[in-house]
Order: sequence, then structure tokens, then C-alpha cells
Amino acid sequence: MYVFCPGGSPGQKVCFGLRASAVKKKVKMTKITTENYVAEARKAIQNQVLQRALADLQNRFGRGTAESYRQLPEGPDLRLKAHEIRMKTIENLDVVLETLAANIRKNGGQVFFAEDGQAAVNYCLEVAQRHKVRRVVKGKSMVSEEIGLNAALIDSGIDVSETDLGEYIIQLADETPSHIIAPAIHKTRHDVGSLFADKLDIPYEDDPPRLTWIARKALREKFLAADMGTSGCNIACAETGHIVTVSNEGNIRMSTTVPKVHVAIMGMERVAARLEDHDMLLRLLCRGAAAQNMATYVSYIGGPRAVHQADGPQEFHLVILDNGRSRILADKEFREMLCCIRCAACLNVCPVYAKIGGHAYGYAYSGPVGAVVTPLLVGINRAKDLCLGETLCGACQEICAVNINLPRMLLALRSKLAEGDAAWGVKPVDRKEKFLFQAWSWIMRHRGLYDAAARLGVMGQKFLTPTDGMIRRLPPPLHAWTKERNIRPLATESFIRRWKKGLK
Amino acid sequence: MSTANQREFINRIKMALGKPFAEPRQTEDLFGSGMSAETRSILERVKNRSAADRQKLLETLLEAAQPINLKVIYCDDIGAVTAGIAELVRTKEPEWGSQKSVAAWQHPLIESLNLPDALSGLGVPVVFADLRKTDADSLRRRISGCYIGITSADFCMANTATLVMRTRPGQARTVSLLPSIHIAVIELNRIIADLKELYALLKWDPQESKDGLTNCMTFISGPSKTADIEATMVHGAHGPREVHVFVKNFDS
Repeated sequence: MYVFCPGGSPGQKVCFGLRASAVKKKVKMTKITTENYVAEARKAIQNQVLQRALADLQNRFGRGTAESYRQLPEGPDLRLKAHEIRMKTIENLDVVLETLAANIRKNGGQVFFAEDGQAAVNYCLEVAQRHKVRRVVKGKSMVSEEIGLNAALIDSGIDVSETDLGEYIIQLADETPSHIIAPAIHKTRHDVGSLFADKLDIPYEDDPPRLTWIARKALREKFLAADMGTSGCNIACAETGHIVTVSNEGNIRMSTTVPKVHVAIMGMERVAARLEDHDMLLRLLCRGAAAQNMATYVSYIGGPRAVHQADGPQEFHLVILDNGRSRILADKEFREMLCCIRCAACLNVCPVYAKIGGHAYGYAYSGPVGAVVTPLLVGINRAKDLCLGETLCGACQEICAVNINLPRMLLALRSKLAEGDAAWGVKPVDRKEKFLFQAWSWIMRHRGLYDAAARLGVMGQKFLTPTDGMIRRLPPPLHAWTKERNIRPLATESFIRRWKKGLK
Repeated sequence: MSTANQREFINRIKMALGKPFAEPRQTEDLFGSGMSAETRSILERVKNRSAADRQKLLETLLEAAQPINLKVIYCDDIGAVTAGIAELVRTKEPEWGSQKSVAAWQHPLIESLNLPDALSGLGVPVVFADLRKTDADSLRRRISGCYIGITSADFCMANTATLVMRTRPGQARTVSLLPSIHIAVIELNRIIADLKELYALLKWDPQESKDGLTNCMTFISGPSKTADIEATMVHGAHGPREVHVFVKNFDS
């Protein structure tokens, strides 16, 4: 349903009466497809193009980021220091956010505190309606994916353009991003060429510089015609009252400079107390995201255009979003997750992400960060496969720009899934598995039983014919173990027995 | 305007942190209460840079500029800067359309270049970002038609080859954004080392902290770029596809 009239004046009066009620309607939120993790992962593994792109991405960025940390004058340990600063800010978030809001208002900006995605979306819609906005240009922002801002604006009859090249490709293809900073890595130049030919009505081309220029031209027109720009916020500065946006393309500068209204949305944790905190945070963010010493553009935006200034938005709005974050804050086991600055470095080293890509994670956040943050935001049971799927290898923590202990939190989530948890409303996932492990643990602790079980196993495996010295298939209830791999048969004689007989 | 939903929001955070609602909070620990010894020494260092130190910073800048395709040109006097810009205007072709025009900041250093005279021979007009002669909308339209934008910068951080620009009347943001080529002209003494020095200056230097960050401070490190199609690096995604920095020797 149209909330306002793209046509302009004749119909406007009619719309006016509808506004208040229309805004309050239940907006369409982002689709959460975490339940399809296994099926999507399987699809991704079979996609050869994606597999090559993922391997290439990890080769360049994963290694590049590690090397760029080593090149820091302070070395990779700077990440530990940054962790301390982030944690201190998070533990004083009430004061820090009120300071940020007060300083932004002092500069003439407007601040809205949104309890959930719906409140944030409604606020954006209200601002859009007040300014009779018909065209929105959007700077890349994961938090707007989280709250489903695009869909809500489009539902209201507003033309929304993604402006990051990767996001633009994804939007034209009607898909979702597969990587936090490289959203279109699953597309080849031929895919993009055909897509542009089809959607922009131009002859087919597949040269990346030409394709980039075509998008530049198409989007330049969108920027100049837009009434409102939206952006996220990489890390705000409370004491000066600025949000900070980081990009390489310049699309966020465009979206926040040219249109007459700028709405920025930030997760409530994306803030630093002091300006000097930005020194290490920005350096680590750029290295974590793309192994760069500094991104091409970093903008500090603290309010609307001032008197006698020629450009910049006439109105600046900042939406500070909770949407489940205060719940994470309240749990000391997971509070650390709020240190995350969404650089996506963990995606670039994760062996699981390397194989299944971003779509399997079923929500705005993929990779190890998604495996922890998505269950906490959308429900642990609902997103259980995300944390069960990770390997706990620890690569994510090692590369994390702020040294977040992701493996510890993955284990904590798994323990909740095994035991159930009232505070997070988690139902135990698999009682059978729990029973088997309890039995196993009991057997392990009793020598005689263990030996008997081993002997039983040796007897039992006679019925399984090994191929090349490996058992191909185990009977139920152990059959799942051999679904994807072979298992080595038990030795016919245990080590202890051989030892006692005198090891030969 | 501290609204009810803000109070509720902040109370939820206080509850999550297990902090009492009414108790006033110590913020000195969080925001700092004065200039630290480290900051003091940074400011001293910046203030007392010798000619040799400046030369070293320039070399660092040249080195950092190379991998990000930022062109840095060192000039001994203002005439050489003007000539360098005129040469770029002569040789570079516009990206959109065929008409050449140049946008420029209303800024003492840029005005001292005498660009309107220097470019009149080439038949290229200069659009100054001056609101006293025109309104904001038509100014933006004119700037978006320019293929070269000329600005100065508040600072240039040598370690990352980053221009730092604060917005002010006459110093429009779009001049460094909409044109296909961005030219910045700075004096040698505006080169600083890194973010640490920048933040110390903005916060504590009596002169620089007066303006603070302004309502929009932008860092620019080289031309706009993207690698979103098959990880192929392309310059000129949305912003300028070339950035040239003229460093003019500082004669005090």
C-alpha cells in the first residue's frame, strides 16, 4: 500500500489523513532464514564459482589483514588494547550514549532512540513523509539490513537505491548480500554484465572497469535526484558528537552530502567515548576490513549544514538502535560481543565461511560474527545451526580487530543448546545426543566398562567390511558419523594388552 | 529534547549493566579530565618541527601516496602550482559532456593561485563555491557540471597520505566529491604525521580546537575505488577517479 503519493500535489491531501495510521502499521521486517542453514550450505558447497571466489577472497584479505596487523607500530597486540577501550565504553554505554545524543543535538542534529527495528523503521518513514521523500539513496549499512529498512521504504512507495556497487548489483538481482564488505563476491563479471544488460537496458559488456562506470553513471543520476540519504555508522564519537562513516567508493559521502535529509542508523554499541579512541579503532577497522592502512573516505558528520555553508543535508537524524542489544549487554557471558565493530575480518579467515559463504547464515550478519550475534538477536534455537556449524578453530579471534573471544561464546551458545536455558528461552536441542555423551562419559570413567565396550566394538565391527582399511558405514544410531566420512576400525588388540604382552 | 523513549532506552541499559538509576556517574575516567603527558609531547613535536623534519614527512607522504594512486607534486612557489593545475586542465578530458569547467573553494590559498586568469586562456571558467553570489541549489548544479574540483585541506596525514578537510562557508564538500578529478593544494606545514597528531591538534591546540571538527570533517586517501566485481580494482566508483595534491613550500 502506498503511504504517500509519488505523483505529487493533486493526491497529497488524501494521503495526509492516512499518514498517522499508515505509519503505525506492522512493517515488513527482514526475512530471517537461519533455519535453512544446512540446505543453503549444501547449495553453496556445490557452487564452483562461489567456491573459487571465497578461496580468492580469503587468500587476499585474510592474509593481508594478518600482515597489516604485524606492520602496526604497536604490533597485533594493539587489538588487545582496543578490546579494553571497547569494553570500557560498553560498560558505560548509558553515559556515553547520552553524551553523544546531547552533543549531536547541540550541533542541530536530531536523535531518536529506537527500542526495536520497527520503531527505527517507523521513525525513518515519518521523516521521509514529513519531507515528501520519493527517492532515497542508501549508503551500505548492515544495521539497515537487520531492520529491513529497504523493504519498508519500498512498501511506502519510495524508490530506494543501494549505492555501494556490490549492494547495487545485489539489489538489481533481487538477492541478499553474501559478505559484510564484499556483498557481491558470488557474482562473476558475466553475471553482472547480463544483469546490467537486462535491468539497465544496455548492450552486454563484461569488463569490470566499464561495468563500474555504467553503475557510476546510473547511480550519479540517483544521487543528484534523491531527497533523502541513509547511512549506517562505523563508530561514533560521543565527546564531539559525530558519527563516522567509512567507505572506499565515496557512495556514503554522496548519500550524506547531496540529499536534503540524512538519516543515520547505528546499533547502540557503535560508539567511542573520546576522539583519541578513534586512533586505534579506525586503524584496526581499516586493516580488519580490507587490509588497508586507511579507507579512501572517512567522514565525521555531526549535524546538518550550518548557515552560509553551501552543501550538506538540511536535516540530520541519528537513530540509535537497541533491537535486542541490551539483552546481550545484560548477560556478562555475551557482553563482549558488543565490542564488535563489524569489520568482517573473521569472515576472511573462517574455514566454515570459506566453504558455505554468507547466504547460509540467513540474516544480515554472516561468518563467525553472525554465528554468535544472530542467535542472540533472533533466538538461539532458531539459529542453532549457525553456532553448531563453526569449527572452534580460533582463527576468528586471532584476526578480530578487537580480539573478541568468539570461540568461547560459540561454546557458551552450544552449552545452552545442550542444557537448555530459561533466561534466553532455549529448549535443549537433542536429548539423544546428550544421553549418548553422558553414557560415553560414564564408560570412560570406568576402566572395566571401557575395555568391555572396546571389545564389544571389535567384535561388532567384524560385520562391517572395511574398504582400504576404513569402515564406510556405521549402523544406527552411529550412522550419521559416517554419512560424510569414513572411520578407522578399532585395533583388534588394545595398546594396553600389547604393552602387557611386551610390545613388539 | 530528552524524550520519554530516550529515558526508557537509557534505563534499559542501566538495568542491563546493573547500575543504580539515580546515582550520578563519574565521567572523568571515561572522557579524561585534562591533557595527558603524551598529548603534550605530541603537540610539542608538531609545533617544533624543523625544516628537515618537514622534508622527512614529505618523503613519507610521497611513499604512502604511491600505492593508493594519489599523485603528490611538490612545488617551490605558487606560480608552479598554478602552472601545474593549468597543465592538468589542458590535458585532462571531461568525463561527462565536452564542456570544461572547474570548481574551486573560496579559500585564501586557492584564491592566491589566480586561477580565473590562468585558465581564461584555455577558455575554462572557474566556479567558486561562494554563496554570496548564488544560492545553494544552483551552486550545486554548477559544481556537478565541473570536471575538476580544486580545494585546499586543513591537514595532510603523511603516514596514510590522507587529506583532512573541515567544512566551512566557501569550502563546499561537493567540490572534492562530484568532479571527476580532485586537486588539493596545501602548504608544506600542513603535513602532519598521523591520526594521533590530528586528534591532539583538534582537541587541544588553541587555534585548531576553536573550529573543532566542524559539522563535517572528511578524510580523503586517494581516488575513489571499488573491487566489487571479481575483486578487480577500479578507480572512480562514485567519487573522483584521480586525486592530485600540490604541496607548496611554506615560506614564513
